[in-house]
Amino acid sequence: MTESAFRQEVREFLAESLTPEIARAGELMTSVFADFDATMDWHKRLHRKGWVAPDWPQEYGGTGWTLSERYIFQEECKLANAPALFAMGLQMLGPMLIRYGTEEQNNYYLPRMLSGEDVWCQGYSEPGAGSDLASLITAAVRDGDDYIINGSKIWTSYAQHSNKIFCLVRTSKEGKPQAGISFILVDMDTEGLKVEPIVGLDGTVEQCQVYFDNVRVPAANLVGAENQGWDVAKSLLEFERGGHNFTIDHKKQMAKIDRQASSQYSEDNTLWKDNPIFAAKLSDVAVDALALEFTELRVKGAFEAGGNAGALSSLIKVMGTEIGQRFNELSLEMMAEHAFVKQLDALLPSFEGETIGPDCGLTTMAEYINNRSATIYGGSAEIQRDIIAKRVLHL
Amino acid sequence: MFIEYSEEQNMLRDSAERYLRDNYSFDSRQATVKQASGFDAVQWQAFADLGWLAMTFDEDSGGFGGGALETMILCEQFGKFLVLEPYLESVVMVGGLIEAGAQPAIKEQYLTGLIAGELQGAFAYLEEGSVADPTHVKTIAEPSADGFILNGSKTVVLNGPEADFFIVSVITGANHKDSSQGISLFVVTKDNPGLSLKNYKTYDGRSASELHMTDVAVSNLALVGELDNGFAIAAPIFSRAIVAVCAEAVGAMDALLAATVDYTKQRKQFGQSISGFQVLRHRMVDMFMEIELTRSLLMATAWKLDNNAPDAEQCVAALKAKVGKAGRYVSHNAVQLHGGIGTTDEFSVGHYFKRLATIGVMFGSRDSHLSRYSQLSAQVSS
Repeated sequence: MTESAFRQEVREFLAESLTPEIARAGELMTSVFADFDATMDWHKRLHRKGWVAPDWPQEYGGTGWTLSERYIFQEECKLANAPALFAMGLQMLGPMLIRYGTEEQNNYYLPRMLSGEDVWCQGYSEPGAGSDLASLITAAVRDGDDYIINGSKIWTSYAQHSNKIFCLVRTSKEGKPQAGISFILVDMDTEGLKVEPIVGLDGTVEQCQVYFDNVRVPAANLVGAENQGWDVAKSLLEFERGGHNFTIDHKKQMAKIDRQASSQYSEDNTLWKDNPIFAAKLSDVAVDALALEFTELRVKGAFEAGGNAGALSSLIKVMGTEIGQRFNELSLEMMAEHAFVKQLDALLPSFEGETIGPDCGLTTMAEYINNRSATIYGGSAEIQRDIIAKRVLHL
Repeated sequence: MFIEYSEEQNMLRDSAERYLRDNYSFDSRQATVKQASGFDAVQWQAFADLGWLAMTFDEDSGGFGGGALETMILCEQFGKFLVLEPYLESVVMVGGLIEAGAQPAIKEQYLTGLIAGELQGAFAYLEEGSVADPTHVKTIAEPSADGFILNGSKTVVLNGPEADFFIVSVITGANHKDSSQGISLFVVTKDNPGLSLKNYKTYDGRSASELHMTDVAVSNLALVGELDNGFAIAAPIFSRAIVAVCAEAVGAMDALLAATVDYTKQRKQFGQSISGFQVLRHRMVDMFMEIELTRSLLMATAWKLDNNAPDAEQCVAALKAKVGKAGRYVSHNAVQLHGGIGTTDEFSVGHYFKRLATIGVMFGSRDSHLSRYSQLSAQVSS
């Protein structure tokens, strides 16, 4: 199939399956997460079509698409305002289980992940272990056929909606800190596990702290061998960094900026798009976004040739998030005082009341606020720069 | 130019700092944010009792005769403690406009109440479509037998939900593109028939309204300033308001830098305090330099406004542009260096960040003030 025929097929599917309500949830995203119910509705529609996990090998439920087709699919979905699916299961744990899981684990977990029956969250960071993840202290102590887990995990995205959590836990204090870490799968409804929401700066809950008080987990839930969890996690971080396409995010941001600049007036009574200072600033960011797009295409080319992104994935994470933040700043400047209005109800896809200010500015302040965390999570901008310094420049 | 503060000015700063430190905790502030009311009435009364609300009014208006420097001194402390109470909206803007241009009977009636903390005001000057430009006015006032009839809508009226009365900008005469000609200001009370409000909270924890007027009748007495030329009195009030929010920004940035220095010393990763990492040390040094440059501009601008210096307005533009840049740099990096905790509602850092975000675009963005600075500089040199 040609790429244009494939794109047409995706568009036809979106036209019939992406309902206005689901698309509205995607349009109203103020972070990497969309409304939970709408997201799961979309997840199930994609699952019925067989398109929920394009990045997986075909024998496990993938689509068998080329890298280019996967890119086209992502782009069409995002620009049509489809909600982003929750990444922790499909993008992170799934590929990792396929690589490290036992046959029994894969047979049980992968179909449930595809169907949306299981919603996964990630238990990595701890209050005392963020950038220095290897210093984590949440402990799993062997007791017969089980482990008993004590400690806590923080910045656990959407734990309040999840029924499963994959965790890094300490199983040994011997040797280097990385050497005593294991990777384990935990049922959220196990006795002793407690989820406490963390209210974010926009007033909504996306993050949680998860507490473990003598949580008993079967040893069969270990992924990889005991004390081999760091290697498993490292492969996951590669999925996290390599799997995300920032260019598509930037295109969605630019489409919104275009709507704002074509409808809102700047100080001298001209549309923002006709304000030369603003136009120059927008181009400044857009040129960096274009350079990043070609960088992502270089990486894609390297993948297609059987190679890997190497430390370019750190570059892409730093620049992708920082460019995104600069787009948020431009939106805030255009919407000005209208961005101040806090109307959380109006950000729900089901909202039918009257909103305040222009529709294209509803998400502006929340996006600006929430996106500050993009340079903190998933390896901070400082950590990513360290990786480039060490691995590329050998400093 | 070197500013030597008077004994009274030093006392004002010290007493404001002491009062807020002892009585205005972040936790009590957050409790107020979560209430329906936009501010704490007990605090507002305390501000009145301390003489803060009277500080910048002339002595014959019942004030203490302070100027831009006193506004700066108070607002810097308000920024440092993230004060929610509407000093900017009610005192600096509405109080300033009433004192500058209201008819004597109105002035006496409203100014006494504002200074005593009994009345609240809000300035309704923004409209849908072009919030970036206060001279874009579509709301109209048409003459009637004994005054004017007002029709139209105002958006994001800060302190609107708490206001007993409003000053609204309206078109009364021929309005030219890019000009404030033809715009007049009127006092309208909250209970004026035909006036309706839609109230809400803002992301920085304050409150605001959409204000709608259908055939609102006001008397000739309600006119503030000259007919068709309300911006003659509004322009200096906007300059004073810019000093107020920029002083607030400096106070907020001071608080953020102190919190960041403190946090990075305590936070240990990779077996050491993260304050030991050179990249973070230099980041904090850059934050410090941005803050001190802004502080210099702030002090000079307030001093020049009080002394009617010929380049005062140029300094106002420079100050607001500088705050746009510095506020962003300092607040973004304060959040970044705090990591996850800086993005939570529970911790104060993110609330300073949100206030700096609103200040950054309020009364014109950095770019508009850079343009204004460039225009004013060209005028001075030609």
